[in-house]
Amino acid sequence: MTTYEAAALALSGLTDTGAGMCSARARVSEKREFTVDSGRFSLLRTTFDKGLDLTLIKDHRRGKVAGNDLSGEGIKKAVQDCLLSAQSASPDEAWQLYPGTQDRFTQGTPEGDTEKLFQRTRELLDTIKQEYPKVMVEQMIVSHDRVESVYLNNLGADYRTLAGDYGLFITVSGHEGDKTSSFNFTGFSTDSLEKPFIELADLRQTLEDIGRQIDTVAPEDKYEGTVVFTPGCAADILESLISTFAGDGGLLDGTSPWKDKLGARVADQRLTLRIAPHDPAVVCGERYLDDGRLSQDYDLIKDGVLQQFMLSSYVANKIGLPPAPSASFSVIMPAGDQSFADILRCIDRGLLVSRFSGGSPASNGDFSGVAKNSFLIKKGQVGPAVSETMISGNLGDMLNHVRGISRETVQDGWRVLPWIAVDGIVISGK
Amino acid sequence: MLADMISRHREAFAPGASTELRAQRNLRRQVSLLKGNLVTNMRTDTKGVGARVYQDGIYGFASAAELNDDAVRKVLKSATENAAFLAGHAGRGAEPLPAIRRGEGPRQPDFTDLPQKHYIDYLTELDEHIQKTYPNLESRTLITSSDSMEKLLTTSDGLSSHILAPRSYVYVFLSANAADGAPVEVFQPFGGRGTFDTRFTDPKDLHEPIDQLYQMLMQKREGVYARAGQHTVILAGELAGMLAHEAVGHTVEADLVLGGSVAGPMLNKQVASELVSMTDFAHSAFGETAPLPVYVDDEGVEAQDALLIDRGILKGYMHNRQSAQHFGMAPQGNARAWLFSDEPLIRMRNTAVHPGQDKLSDMIASVDDGYYLLHTGNGQADSTGEFMFGITMGYEIKQGKLGRAIRDTTISGVAFEMLKSVTMVSDQMSWNSSGFCGKKQMMPVGLGGPELKCRLTIGGK
Repeated sequence: MTTYEAAALALSGLTDTGAGMCSARARVSEKREFTVDSGRFSLLRTTFDKGLDLTLIKDHRRGKVAGNDLSGEGIKKAVQDCLLSAQSASPDEAWQLYPGTQDRFTQGTPEGDTEKLFQRTRELLDTIKQEYPKVMVEQMIVSHDRVESVYLNNLGADYRTLAGDYGLFITVSGHEGDKTSSFNFTGFSTDSLEKPFIELADLRQTLEDIGRQIDTVAPEDKYEGTVVFTPGCAADILESLISTFAGDGGLLDGTSPWKDKLGARVADQRLTLRIAPHDPAVVCGERYLDDGRLSQDYDLIKDGVLQQFMLSSYVANKIGLPPAPSASFSVIMPAGDQSFADILRCIDRGLLVSRFSGGSPASNGDFSGVAKNSFLIKKGQVGPAVSETMISGNLGDMLNHVRGISRETVQDGWRVLPWIAVDGIVISGK
Repeated sequence: MLADMISRHREAFAPGASTELRAQRNLRRQVSLLKGNLVTNMRTDTKGVGARVYQDGIYGFASAAELNDDAVRKVLKSATENAAFLAGHAGRGAEPLPAIRRGEGPRQPDFTDLPQKHYIDYLTELDEHIQKTYPNLESRTLITSSDSMEKLLTTSDGLSSHILAPRSYVYVFLSANAADGAPVEVFQPFGGRGTFDTRFTDPKDLHEPIDQLYQMLMQKREGVYARAGQHTVILAGELAGMLAHEAVGHTVEADLVLGGSVAGPMLNKQVASELVSMTDFAHSAFGETAPLPVYVDDEGVEAQDALLIDRGILKGYMHNRQSAQHFGMAPQGNARAWLFSDEPLIRMRNTAVHPGQDKLSDMIASVDDGYYLLHTGNGQADSTGEFMFGITMGYEIKQGKLGRAIRDTTISGVAFEMLKSVTMVSDQMSWNSSGFCGKKQMMPVGLGGPELKCRLTIGGK
């Protein structure tokens, strides 16, 4: 059975249950993955995988099942399971699927080159060994993924996708004698093996920084200062912020501080946050949503004004707002007008933070956590790395206290982000 | 249960290599109610077969999302080819792995896969009780999650086994607004190993613990922000367990030791107060079945306890067969995989600080100015042992007595320094097994401990 035939068989089964709305997504994928442990190749892994995701809405009751059995018998069982789940649910008119179109998507590099992937990986290990002798590659996962998928719903959506990309995820630490730095990690997605991996995303910067984080100072004072978040760290902070302030949970239960802020200023006017799965910098970005709509790029915040919540169609219907045009987190933040060096020069006292290890923020946005892989900034200069240093503040307040947004950005195949400097963060030492 | 469709393929294992063949099925059933809205109603069922081949110091692995003879032949062939590819390009010239005990692992009983209606009905009844009993809540979220791993394993040189490990939980989140308008939340998981129907027979059984949770929320509404800085604290067992797992356990996983963790140079050295001992328990702990027992791992190694810290001295690491060979130690059954498509990694099982001899009441009475920290929302640590835990419930201690509740905060420290500051250890244990450990793959783990009196840094505000 082909992937399309599996999806069509499932949709037919769902429709036959009398469902008002239903969808079926079938997927066949193959992964080739190298693992490097402690700087040495340790594993070559191949996975031949399948997936089946079914949604059924009948009498406003919704059921969902996910599995990986694409045989006729397996599909039949999954349809029955989905029906029983829906019949057990309470009715809710907010569940909805949307009419769709017929579209075909080919993305990235569906066919991988295992030999060249190995050579690029070995080249990176050699480069690290030669140029960054204090750096230990604790683990590196390098892979090529090929995915063929078909999404159908009973409202006309017929989306067929063939996609593939190369991905790298690396964890490194610095070592000198018995001294060790904190680990840090980075990664990227790419559709090409043309460039050496060391030139992609922020890999070289991460390697340079980790070698300077072996010796640290542990500040003992507490003060309000400026924090510069690297693009990688900014991505984590922004994801947390958007989820807390603009996501389903906080808006459905009414705890989001932004619940009445649509169309209002929520951030410094220099700040724009765009969700853009179609941006050329995004490899294999989202093309359609689970509810049948085609994905569209949109501004979440434009010039500091909240334009859109990141709502699923369910929550949007519950609270009477439009759903987000994309379910992805392909964040693009336009570059600022200052160089990273100029931003640093203006900072009297603060931290350059590459990784934040913190608890989940409270629903009002208060957060606190440890500044990992971070450096002191004093009188415009980057100083020694720090340990045992905590930062705390409020996610919402941060957006209104932007000191600067860098001209330089990092593209990792998922997002494009600059360095962001924020005032008013409480920095406390041991 | 899965029928044995892998043993007959042992004859096809590559000669001279060490091979594992595993058929596996993972089930997960999830239901969640947010303010009474059924926002999650999901059933997941994945199954397939995976093979791993060890040759010349490296591994080849392959998996297929089917359970039939063709799939088994396909993954054995692909895993063997992968091992040959990597051995040809980056082989290490290593010796074969040392022999391990052969035979059959213990069989485990079958279980009932409940219909979705069972979970929805249970949760709906509980939600109606909460809504009716506590009308001043700002929000409430209830989640049920049941998952199970079933594994059939046969290897070229270890124990063959059939493992079935279900666990079931109800998670309760309650939130209310404080006087200053800031929302505060409390959270508690209930449950453990076993199927949902054996763990949760009647929603009324949770009324009393949920009422205790509600009382905590009311105290937290009136709570104060903790003061930032170093303080004397008493960590509840849940936090001692988190410390054992995140801040110590990961640093003594042998793959991370080889990657340069802080524990590497510390073997047989003092890393904690002599009041502190710590073990990664396999299937039994302190005379009882451990929260998530492991009898055989996914390399076919019989699971045994791994003593990590004995009266303050670091005594060992956790291994797979390859790292055990490297360090000249015995593997103790820590190599585990989450899905059929995952290779076994070194994972913790039930990691705990051992109980001591102090009474909690004496511990609180001994603190002049500090905090009693009860619940955590999450925790992270790195290879230096520097850790961070989010604190979701705690109290001030003033002149030996519990005081006001505190708002959410974060604690941090360096494990091997903080453990040296431990001056009292309570005589009671508490376990938690409701979460997943994330290390490339997810993995259910148990963690536990007694109350610890120590010094560490609080984030405050």
